[in-house]
Amino acid sequence: MSETKPKLAFYWAASCGGCEITITELGMRLVATSKKVDIVFWPCLMDFKYSDVEALEDDEIDVCFFNGAIRSSENEHVANLLRQKSKLLVSFGSCAHTGGIPGLANFYDAESILERVYDTAPSVDESRGTRPTPSFEVPEGIIEIPTFYDQVMTLDQTVEVDYFMPGCPPVADQVWNVFQTILAGELPDKGATIGVDPKTNCDVCPREKGEGGFRVTEWKRPHEVDLDPDLCFLAQGVICCGPATRAGCGLPCISGNMPCRGCYGPPEGVFDQGAKLLSAIGALIDTEEPELVAQIMDTIVDPGGLSYRFGLANSVMAELKYRQRSQESDT
Amino acid sequence: MADQSSQTQSFADQVRAIPGGEHLETCYSCGTCVSKCMIQQKIEPEYNPRRLLHMVMLDMRHETFESPTTWLCSACDLCYPACPQEIHISGVIGAVKQLAVEAGYESPLETVSVEHSLCSGCGICVMTCPYEAPHLVEEEVDGEMDRFSEVDANACMGCGICVAACPMGAISRPGVSNEEVRVQISVPESNGAPRMVVFVCDWSLRADADVTLLESYPDNVRVIHIPCTGRIDPEMTLLALRAGVDGVLVCGCAPGECHYKRGTVVSSCKIGLLNRVLEQMHVGDGRVRFVQIGTQDRGRIRKEVDGMLEHLATWKEAA
Repeated sequence: MSETKPKLAFYWAASCGGCEITITELGMRLVATSKKVDIVFWPCLMDFKYSDVEALEDDEIDVCFFNGAIRSSENEHVANLLRQKSKLLVSFGSCAHTGGIPGLANFYDAESILERVYDTAPSVDESRGTRPTPSFEVPEGIIEIPTFYDQVMTLDQTVEVDYFMPGCPPVADQVWNVFQTILAGELPDKGATIGVDPKTNCDVCPREKGEGGFRVTEWKRPHEVDLDPDLCFLAQGVICCGPATRAGCGLPCISGNMPCRGCYGPPEGVFDQGAKLLSAIGALIDTEEPELVAQIMDTIVDPGGLSYRFGLANSVMAELKYRQRSQESDT
Repeated sequence: MADQSSQTQSFADQVRAIPGGEHLETCYSCGTCVSKCMIQQKIEPEYNPRRLLHMVMLDMRHETFESPTTWLCSACDLCYPACPQEIHISGVIGAVKQLAVEAGYESPLETVSVEHSLCSGCGICVMTCPYEAPHLVEEEVDGEMDRFSEVDANACMGCGICVAACPMGAISRPGVSNEEVRVQISVPESNGAPRMVVFVCDWSLRADADVTLLESYPDNVRVIHIPCTGRIDPEMTLLALRAGVDGVLVCGCAPGECHYKRGTVVSSCKIGLLNRVLEQMHVGDGRVRFVQIGTQDRGRIRKEVDGMLEHLATWKEAA
């Protein structure tokens, strides 16, 4: 009987644990599902070692849900290992899909991050110039820790991925839908983005657009405005990533009176979510005075972090940066 | 109602009755407006606001409605400050156009269309359009209410600002759709010379010599003509850089001279934001530049293109 149960694996690379929580949010549905499947690897909830995975046959895992970005040699090693052992590899959650929050590290490089952490952060009393040492000799032998990479990568940039499931985290109902689809053997063609709706959040958002329209002379941050729960955020001068973000989350942020942060990634056909958002925001500018343009742009604090909050690692922007780097190191 | 009033009112009275049309009769046909007009100079020699206003007063209804002048005026208002009678000419032409549309005439321009299956009804196009051409409509589709954008083809001037603004790529305009612009973004290898894309709004180049000059650059400078720099979106610029282009120069009209009212300002904001993010990523290096060329700036395009090529050559050398 147990031979016929599909084997599942879950893994977290550079991630926060939110993707695991969304699965536990399934509650009794998870308990019911767990009787129909064999979980062969899930470091967050169950006691497994990498050697358990190494001991599996190739393709022995039916479906692996991989969350987290690739930012260390350990992440990369396990991504390769799980790819080898899995029939289907699902890029689960924003970090694996588009880099997510860890991907924002691509605005910097490894050394400047380590310098901040070990030398200049306010919590550092006295800098000792400490740095993680990937390999260190002690009397008992050699201790090795993973190498911290210069670039945060998506799972798809590291190994071949069969399906993409965006979200920070993917909402429980969509996870449930995807489980059902898998168990029913009704997955779409490989390469598809699953657990999502076809259009963007504006398509399903119930908020009114407002009478006055929403050309903007000043962008405000959510905490600076007493937000009307029924009015489009853009009409209130607050940037919402909804117009450039794929629908499917069920709008938990927007229902909570917070603008969309963009975690479900770009809709079909869009190469670069952040660039599209910048284009839409720029289109709303309301001035005829050229000197005011910069002033209005200044009201957008951290345009990069805002427009690429979840998608930086997967962006054309990052591609340019790391291509330039590799060309520089070639010459 | 309209038919009845057209029998009792002269054509000129009808035009005057529409807000914007009231200044009709103060025109004494000096023709200063024509000398300022970019349309007359660039695309349509028959374009003549002075004559159009005269035709209205002569009750030449059908000739007026069929005249290209009625449809081509984009209300850039370059003529307005020049008119000694302070006639807001685009307001009068707008009134004529409104009557033409009511009489069943249709715009001969290339205008945008929205692919409903892609439109999410975000309303960005509605907000950015200088001409109030798009509007949101709600309709029942497969038993559910769906909100999407629809464009009034008679109001649309085909500038493409909404095409660039649409986050779904749901809007297109023949000649400058996303696909049609993308295929032009390829610059051949050129023995180490910088490869550059120049997006140029043709309204910004007043002198024929400037237009001809652009054609004289070798293959490493790819010139892509667009109706308005408002048509540029950051994604398009990034795609150019990804395709191996060293730099992108966007040339638009001077502040206050945009042919489509707000295209220049929208573009300067978009390119400005893009540059801020490129700086955050440490890949800016001045590789994307937005310049605004005024009607008096003859010959400036050469300086801008050469200046950018020089900058890119230095940048390539340093890299």
